[in-house]
Amino acid sequence: MALPPAVELRRRNRAALLEQLHRHGPQTRAALTEALELNRSTIGALATDLAESGHLQETTGQSTGSAGRPSTLVACVPRSITVAAVEIRADRLRFALVGLGGEVLERSESALEAGADPIEAVAVITGGTASAAAVASVPGLVDEGAVAHSTELGWIDRDAAAELEAATGREWRVVDTATAAAVGEWSRGDAGEARKLLYLHGGRGLTAGLVIEGRAQRGGSIQLGHIVVEPGGRECVCGLRGCLDAEMEAFGLADGIEDATLAAGMGDAAARDRLRRSGEGLGRALGAVVTATGPDEILFGGWLRELYLSTAAPVRSAFAETTLPHLRSKLRLRTPVLGDEGALIGAAETGFAAVFEEMR
Amino acid sequence: MLLELTGLSKRFGPVEVLSDVDLAIDAGEVCALVGDNGAGKSTLVKCVAGIHGIDGGAIAVDGEARTISGPRDAAALGIEVVYQDLALCDNLDVVENLFLGREKRRGLVLDDDAMEQLAAETLSSLAVRTIRNLRQPVASLSGGQRQTVAIAKAVLWNSRLVILDEPTAALGVAQTRQVLELIRRLADQGLAVLYISHNLNDVFAVADRIAALYLGRMAAVLDAADATQSQVVELITSGRSGSLGLGADTNGARS
Ligand SMILES: Nc1ncnc2c1ncn2[C@@H]1O[C@H](COP(=O)(O)OP(=O)(O)O)[C@@H](O)[C@H]1O
Ligand SMILES: [Mg+2]
Ligand SMILES: [Zn+2]
Repeated sequence: MALPPAVELRRRNRAALLEQLHRHGPQTRAALTEALELNRSTIGALATDLAESGHLQETTGQSTGSAGRPSTLVACVPRSITVAAVEIRADRLRFALVGLGGEVLERSESALEAGADPIEAVAVITGGTASAAAVASVPGLVDEGAVAHSTELGWIDRDAAAELEAATGREWRVVDTATAAAVGEWSRGDAGEARKLLYLHGGRGLTAGLVIEGRAQRGGSIQLGHIVVEPGGRECVCGLRGCLDAEMEAFGLADGIEDATLAAGMGDAAARDRLRRSGEGLGRALGAVVTATGPDEILFGGWLRELYLSTAAPVRSAFAETTLPHLRSKLRLRTPVLGDEGALIGAAETGFAAVFEEMR
Repeated sequence: MLLELTGLSKRFGPVEVLSDVDLAIDAGEVCALVGDNGAGKSTLVKCVAGIHGIDGGAIAVDGEARTISGPRDAAALGIEVVYQDLALCDNLDVVENLFLGREKRRGLVLDDDAMEQLAAETLSSLAVRTIRNLRQPVASLSGGQRQTVAIAKAVLWNSRLVILDEPTAALGVAQTRQVLELIRRLADQGLAVLYISHNLNDVFAVADRIAALYLGRMAAVLDAADATQSQVVELITSGRSGSLGLGADTNGARS
């Protein structure tokens, strides 16, 4: 049923104001007026309204610099809207409860015993925590809540969203870990200027996620580790031959990247050779992904951070040899600033995006 | 261009250590300078830093020709050099080192708390999380942390060009990574960076452009996005690679 236009407009403005505060932090009414392109009285009425509903508060902040005059800042109340985020890994679950404005209110981790079903464990770690949305990040190929393939978890065609709902009695969103981390780096890290951001995730196997203007996309979940870089090469767990995961022995590097780079740094020829070949394979797979998707920034996350920084010469050389110049000339290659927290933070942010969407 | 060297020459007695070197560095980019031992990299740095006078050519900053006759001239132009043998004072703490020798010169009077806050803000703007206690003496820091303090000092004092001569040479693998990320972040914040290294992984990890010196001459300046490791190795060891480099048909150096 359609709402009266005035009511709908008010809902939209409420959502826009909360989203503005959530993303950009406490600010003055004047700054809000300018950012939202609304008039002062509308902002005033909205602020009063949202203060009454407990979503925001007005505080006297530090001086604004100019005349040293203290100014009143509008800030959101973290506990007024929360999102539960869970990152599922092969051997552990990581949980965060994130409040409006981005503050991490609760944070815990638990080890998963071999053979334990992560879905059951999610019900335990989230316990009775109430939240406006719940999002799980899963390393693998994810589309609309379903996990088509996860090398790390050994899952094939699991409807994770439905199973999580059955186990916990609430609705879940599911996003792949690389995509979640990309959203995190875009919204709370250093990559906010990237229009098309590609995040490469080194877990137990390699995955990638592409986000556009910070938003997860259908089709943006990429099985980086199963791009064939050596036709007829080593047998992969997925059944193909010559996949990147198999060629670089990604499972071994997931556990031993520090040892491998240390040995190479000390001059161990076998370790150097192995890293060089891994770097070349990564560069070639990247050539394929970049040719297909055309990102403007790439982040090397998980243990790919260590691999990239230690083997950037073969990575970039192989990449240059497999990509058209216009696709790489302005491309930024970087490492993430949020480190290991990126996926959890980004999972929470996709939850907030959905909450704001529903408020409109 | 923030810094532009044209036809730079430098002699030590009868030996010409730099001949007719052209190099330009823009704000926001990392330019890596590579070359064999003795190619003239450190000499080039010292010419820009005002430690050596030049025998020919010109140095321009922001398009304006400049004579840099000492480190003070360089500092006044916003040029900061981070040397291998870092000029940090072991007995002073991190904050004191960051402000050492500067507070008076700029006529600033900052109290201790303000200095500590500014130091903390600078480190956090560079996403430095490895130095927890700003009040610990620099002597207790690891090599990587000391390097970080030296680099942060450049940022704190609004340098516009930071020159790093082999900053990771003495560091372990993990610390090298942190310094590389820091170098990249400097440029992403709008500084120009001239980064000297002969580790090509380090170079490719952060560089936007790669300049190869060969026996005191600029063999080629490549966009890192187009370069391959074998090209750069050839330029370093023989001064040319295919159609690039000295004596080749087309010179890769940007004009
Ligand atoms: N102060 C100096 N006096 C005489 N010769 C020097 C001096 N400094 C450097 N050289 C010589 O200049 C050449 C270039 O040295 P340098 O710039 O240190 O090379 P790089 O840093 O590329 O290894 C070398 O042959 C070196 O011996
Ligand atoms: Mg040198
Ligand atoms: Zn495979």
